[in-house]
Amino acid sequence: MNGNSLQSTVRDQLPVILVFAALLVIPPLFFDPSTTYLSRRFITVMVFAIFAMALNIIFGETDQLILFMGGIAAVGTYTTVLTAEYLAVSPWLTLLVGAFIAGVFGGLVCYVAARRQFTVIVLAIVTFAFQMIIMEVIIGLRDITGGSTGIPFRALDVEFVESLTGVGPFAIQFYVLVAVFAVVFFLYTWLTNSKYGLAFAAIRQDEFAARATGIDVIRLKVFAGFISTFIIGFVAPFYAKTTGIIIPGLFSFQGVDVLVLIILVLGGLRSRFGPLVGAAIVIYLDNLLSQFGQWRTVTFGLLLTILFIYFQDGILPSATELWEERGIREKLPGLRSGE
Amino acid sequence: MLAQGLELLIDGLARGVILSLFGLGITLVFGLGEILNLLLGVFAVVAVIASSMILGSVPGLVFAALIAVALVALFAFVLDRTVISLVYREEGEDRILLGIFVTLGLSLLFEGLLFIYYPGGRFLESGVGSVSLGPLGITGSSIAVIATAAVLFAGIYYFFNNTYLGIGTRTVIQDETGAVLCGINPRKVQSIVFVLSAAIVGAAGVLYALDAEVTPASSFELTTFAIMVSIVGGVDSISGTVAAGIILGIIMTIAGALFGSYLATVTLFATAIAVLIYKPEQIS
Repeated sequence: MNGNSLQSTVRDQLPVILVFAALLVIPPLFFDPSTTYLSRRFITVMVFAIFAMALNIIFGETDQLILFMGGIAAVGTYTTVLTAEYLAVSPWLTLLVGAFIAGVFGGLVCYVAARRQFTVIVLAIVTFAFQMIIMEVIIGLRDITGGSTGIPFRALDVEFVESLTGVGPFAIQFYVLVAVFAVVFFLYTWLTNSKYGLAFAAIRQDEFAARATGIDVIRLKVFAGFISTFIIGFVAPFYAKTTGIIIPGLFSFQGVDVLVLIILVLGGLRSRFGPLVGAAIVIYLDNLLSQFGQWRTVTFGLLLTILFIYFQDGILPSATELWEERGIREKLPGLRSGE
Repeated sequence: MLAQGLELLIDGLARGVILSLFGLGITLVFGLGEILNLLLGVFAVVAVIASSMILGSVPGLVFAALIAVALVALFAFVLDRTVISLVYREEGEDRILLGIFVTLGLSLLFEGLLFIYYPGGRFLESGVGSVSLGPLGITGSSIAVIATAAVLFAGIYYFFNNTYLGIGTRTVIQDETGAVLCGINPRKVQSIVFVLSAAIVGAAGVLYALDAEVTPASSFELTTFAIMVSIVGGVDSISGTVAAGIILGIIMTIAGALFGSYLATVTLFATAIAVLIYKPEQIS
C-alpha cells in the first residue's frame, strides 16, 4: 500500500525530477570555459523562463495583462545596482531591495487597476505607458543612470564558491538561476493547488460572481501582481549581467515584453513547464536568427501573429493532448476485445 | 516674448493636428470594432516612403502623397480581407486580446521588412516658404500642415455627418445590434473604416515627415502616440480625439521648449495614465 502510493507519487513527479536533473547536468555538458557564448545563451534561457513564469502568474492566473515587464526589470536592476554602489556593498545584498521596489511598484499599479476596475486593455495600455516613461526617464537622468552609455556591471560572482568547488562563474550563475526557477516553479505549483488557485480560476471565469462568493478580488490581484513583479525585479540583474553592461536598450518593450509574451504563449498559458520549453525554443531561434539582422524581427512578428491566430493553447498542452489521445486510441482495441 | 509664445502656439497647433489625425486612426477602428490597431504607424511610414519614391516622377508632393495614400489604402484593404478578418471572427474580450497580439505581430513583421528594404531616414519638402507677419516668423511646414489638416478635418466631418456610410459608421459605434436592425452590415462598415483610418494615417505620416525625419523605427513611436491621444480623447469620440490631439500637441511643444524633448514625451504618457486612472471607461 505504502510502497504503491510512493511509486505512484514518483511516477507523477517523474517529469519534474527529469527536468531538474537535465537542468543540473547542462553546465558540465555544455559550458566550455574557453568560450562563454553558449553559457550565456543557457543563462538567458533560464532568465526568460523565469520572466515567463512571472507573467504566467499575473496574466495566466488572474487575467491582468501587463506590458511593462521590461520596465519592471529595469526598475529592479537599476535599484539593485545603484543602491549597491551608493552603500558600497555587494549587489547580492541589494538584490532583495531591487526586487522589493519592483514588486511594490507592480503591486501598486495592480491595486489602482483593481480598485478602478480596469478592463484588460486599460491595464495593458497603462502599463505600456509606464514602460515608455521608465525608458525615457532612464535615458533622461543620465547623471544617475549613465543614460544610453550605461553602467558596466560585472558583479554577482561568488569567488569563494568558485574556488571551493572548482565550478566556473557561468555555471554558478546558471545554478543560481535554476534554484530561483525551482522556487518559482514550486511556488506556482503550490499556488495553483491551494485555495488561491481556486480563487484565481473564479476571478478568471467571472469576476463579479467571484466577488459575490466572498473572494477578495482586489487583494488577490495585488498579491499576484506583487509576486510577479517581485520575481521579475529579482532576476533582472542576472539578465543585465549576461551582457556585462546595463543599458536602457536591454529593457525595451521589443526586447523583453514581446519575447516573454511569445515564450509564454508558445509554451502554453498556465502550463508548468511551458515557460521553460518556450524560452528554450525562442532563445534558440533568436540565436539562430541573430546573424540575419532584421529578419529576426520579421520572424518573431510572423511567429507572434500565427501563434495567436492558430495556436493559442501553446505547443506543450497541444502536444500533451495529442499524446493522450493517441494513448487512448491504442488502448481501444484492447477494450473492445473484452480485456 | 509674446511673438515667441505665438510661434510656439502655432508650432504646437501644427503638431497637434497631426496627433489628432493619428489618434483618429486608433479611435475609428477601436470604437467601431474593438481592435487596438498596433500596426497603425506602419501605414504612416509606408506612405512617407512611397511618396518620397514617387516624388521624382510626378509634378509635385501633393500628387505623390495622393498616390501614396491610395497605395496605403490598398495595403490596408488587403490586410483587412486576410488577417484582420480572422480577428473579427472572435467576440468580446477574446477579440480585444487577439487584436492586440495579431496587430503587434504584424507591426513587427512589417517594421522588420521596412528596415531590410528601405532603411534610412526620409524627409519631405513642403515647398511652402516661411511667412513673416510683423515680428512673427511662421515656418512653411507649419502652414502646409495646418492647411492640409483643416481640409482633411472638413472632409472627415462631412463624411460622418452627411453621408450614409458615415452616419452608418457612427450608428455601429453606438450600438452594433441596433445598426444590424437598421440594415447596416457591421463587417462591411468595419472594412471601410479600417481602410479609411489607414488613409488618414498615411496622410498624417506625410505631414509628419515635413518637419521630422521618418525611419522604419518611427512606426512604433507613432503608434504609441496615436494610442495615447485616442485615450485622452475617449476612444469612441471622434471630436474628443481631435480636441485631445490639438491640446496635447500644444502642451508637448511648450513642455519641450521649456524642459527638453524627453519630458515632452513623458508628459504625453503621464497624461494618458492620469486620464485612464480617472476615467477607465474611456476605453472599454
